Amino acid sequence: MQKVFHNIKPLLLLLLLNALGMLLVISNGELAAERIGILCGVVCIISLVTYVVITVRDLGDSYLFIIISMLCSLGIIMQTRINPDNGIRQMVLYLAGVICFFGTLFMYRKFHKRLNRYTLIYWGVSIALFVITALIGTVHNGSKNWIMIGSLSIQPSEFIRILFVLAMAAIFTNARKSSSRVIKTSIAKQEAKKLKHTRLAVAVLMAFSNAMCLFMQREWGIALLFFAIYISYVYIYGDSKVFLGANLLLVILAAYVGVKYMSHIQVRVEAWMDPFADISGKGYQIAQSLFAIGEGGFAGRGIGTGSPYFIPVVSSDFIFSAICEEMGVLGGVAVIMLYFLLVYRGFKIALSCTNAFNKAVAVGMSVMLGVQTFIIVGGVIKLIPLTGITLPFISYGGSSMLTTFIVMGILQAISSVKGEVTDEIE
Amino acid sequence: MKLNRRIIAVMTVVLALFLILVVYLTHFIIFKAPEIIKSSYNPRVWEKETDVLRGEIYDRTGTVLAKSEQTGNSQTRIYPYGKLYAHTIGYNSRNYGKTNIELEYNNYLLDTKEKISIFKNDKEGFQNGANLTLTLDNSMTELAANALGNDNGSVVVINPKTGEVYCLYSNPSFDPNESALIKNWDSLTERTDSPFFFRATQGQYAPGSTFKVITATAAIEKGYEDFMTDDKGITNVGGKYFKNAGEKPMGEIGMKTAIAKSSNVYFTELSQKIGNRSLGSAASKFYITKKVPFDISTKATGLDFGECDSAQLASVAIGQGKLAVSPFNMAVATCAIANDGVIMKPYMVEEVFYDNGGVIYTADREALSSATDKRTANLIKEYMVECVKSGTGTAARVSGIDVAGKTGTAENEREGKTHAWFIGFAPADNPQVVVCVMKEYSGKGGGSVCAPIAGKIFNYALKKGLITK
Repeated sequence: MQKVFHNIKPLLLLLLLNALGMLLVISNGELAAERIGILCGVVCIISLVTYVVITVRDLGDSYLFIIISMLCSLGIIMQTRINPDNGIRQMVLYLAGVICFFGTLFMYRKFHKRLNRYTLIYWGVSIALFVITALIGTVHNGSKNWIMIGSLSIQPSEFIRILFVLAMAAIFTNARKSSSRVIKTSIAKQEAKKLKHTRLAVAVLMAFSNAMCLFMQREWGIALLFFAIYISYVYIYGDSKVFLGANLLLVILAAYVGVKYMSHIQVRVEAWMDPFADISGKGYQIAQSLFAIGEGGFAGRGIGTGSPYFIPVVSSDFIFSAICEEMGVLGGVAVIMLYFLLVYRGFKIALSCTNAFNKAVAVGMSVMLGVQTFIIVGGVIKLIPLTGITLPFISYGGSSMLTTFIVMGILQAISSVKGEVTDEIE
Repeated sequence: MKLNRRIIAVMTVVLALFLILVVYLTHFIIFKAPEIIKSSYNPRVWEKETDVLRGEIYDRTGTVLAKSEQTGNSQTRIYPYGKLYAHTIGYNSRNYGKTNIELEYNNYLLDTKEKISIFKNDKEGFQNGANLTLTLDNSMTELAANALGNDNGSVVVINPKTGEVYCLYSNPSFDPNESALIKNWDSLTERTDSPFFFRATQGQYAPGSTFKVITATAAIEKGYEDFMTDDKGITNVGGKYFKNAGEKPMGEIGMKTAIAKSSNVYFTELSQKIGNRSLGSAASKFYITKKVPFDISTKATGLDFGECDSAQLASVAIGQGKLAVSPFNMAVATCAIANDGVIMKPYMVEEVFYDNGGVIYTADREALSSATDKRTANLIKEYMVECVKSGTGTAARVSGIDVAGKTGTAENEREGKTHAWFIGFAPADNPQVVVCVMKEYSGKGGGSVCAPIAGKIFNYALKKGLITK
């Protein structure tokens, strides 16, 4: 039990955040107090239980889940404040996410030694999902990227991200392994080299075919994310400056062609350069976002006293602007710092991991989380062109919530098996 | 380990992205947000007007210049004096946005005494926003508008000791009441004389001979106080000919006569002694080349003195060439001469207060710039007194007090359509009112069309007690 109390302070902070946040939502909204109490209580109890389970059963990093719960609490508070019904649904998603988290945690622990063998399956499933979306998908905000199953809507590209990281991690670590084995004969050496090159070629093919599919679905944000992950892998595992340079060139070329010839991207770049030039058209979203952030100032207008309704797509893509309006830039920076810590923990898990494949997976997941946060926060504050992508744990949306919890489950699993040396490593 | 080193490199890049976000967000909120949120496209700007009745705006004597009337759930802004304050107070229109003081002081005008920062306000009905008291004088503004009549031009009146702006008006103007805006908007935006353009603070005109005051200051500071020249009515400086008005020769003259009679020959020749750096630095200290901080937006001249050759410098020294200054800037510069060389920061909003008392803002009276020393200022003042007593500015004379002034008639891009200027202050021994009158493209001399308006203003100020002997 000593262990449980060792890191109790962040947990208390979480309780405080929930209590104060909910108090403000109650005082400024029309919600029944008991409903708020339940929401508040459930998050805290789940976090507490999870924390105890993780520390007592020695399931790895004890900070990850506390940070996640902090972000989720903020998400639930903001969603409740914008639309009370969404708050309840966000809570249900949080519960489902926790189940996914533990499911992934135990499954990954059990099967992680075998997961690097299914590269082609990951790729195949990804492409299949793309094809299915293209065939039976529904259009949402100008992008055909949703599948409706009954009343349930799923965004397949969210799940493809995980498959992409697994596939890339497997192929890059395998390629590296094939070249680092102790090789005796020159023929075998040549063959090993050939094998490595084949594998790298497959990696290039996979990355760009995935990106191509995303481009066709107009998921620029996620395409950018894929490129970031891919380039990180090429840099870490490519072992060749030429290969890295060539890939960078290809990515830049793709981006250039996109900006130059895709009218949808052009519109976004124009809106980014000067949103006030066409404030009632192209620049509307970003201008409204800037107004909200600007009105919030440093301290914010207070939860429940701002006007998030003026911000378009406020519950998903622009949730950060609403946070800044009501909790101020200081609140916004606090949220950014929470992601900072989360990503940092992710990389720390990767660094201390001894299994090559797991290490690669942890790196990929961390890059994904970090870059995703940067893309959406940078987009709504007009640092970079806006691309529709969710803010992990806070944006309203099931697919995003569940996949991010799966990602966290994988990271948690990797952190819990780091002691077992299972594979050779350089 | 090589692998971990590379992972750390990737981590550093990703984490640096977060720091970039934080830095950019902070930069945005400090430097960009204050301007951005004023946009009339920001729905929050209008949000408060559903439950706060916009505050009233008064002149220095308590006359209501702007008020809001409640009609059901909405409110209408009323400007009883129509076009008099369209450029200073501006307008507050649901259709066309907010401008000037209505924009810059929007938050004050909608500020209610109720201070509940984090909890929502559930009170029913309208509450009153805070009110503004301006330094403007309504009767004086009426006088100025009447005196300008149908001519395009500006009148600026400032108290040089405090920086209070008594009058700031320019023709043509427009009726800022919402109904009038809706009715006239199309014609207002299409008219070639641009009634929306505030000539007093934004207009850029060659200041002509009024600029000689600044040239003279620069010369005295550089030790050319006793510079004499034989004025033959025409001279060649840097390969260019400069003439007096009517090519009139003035003989062997010094600075006093040169200012009083407005000799171009004297000042073009003097400019070569001063040099462009010294003249540029004087212009900067007089805030000619710098934006004057003020309650509404102002504009500085775009001229770079450092790039002038000798002929251009000679042109600038007599307020011609590439030099273009707003009437407001000229008035502010004149304040320096009137106030022993010190420019007080001009302001228009004196006070912000709640209905039931409680002042939440009072203007600070602060020195903006020390343009020159007391001795130089008083020398120039003496010359300007001479100008009104016996020179080109006699029309500005007021019985009972000494008036100091300088006229200007500036050539511009339109042949024969000179700008007419008068800058001056009174009483000379204890200046309390600085006046700058400017008529664009009038084709007449500043002494004949502008000085009389300044005279009327001095008379009014004396009668109203704004000038005490």
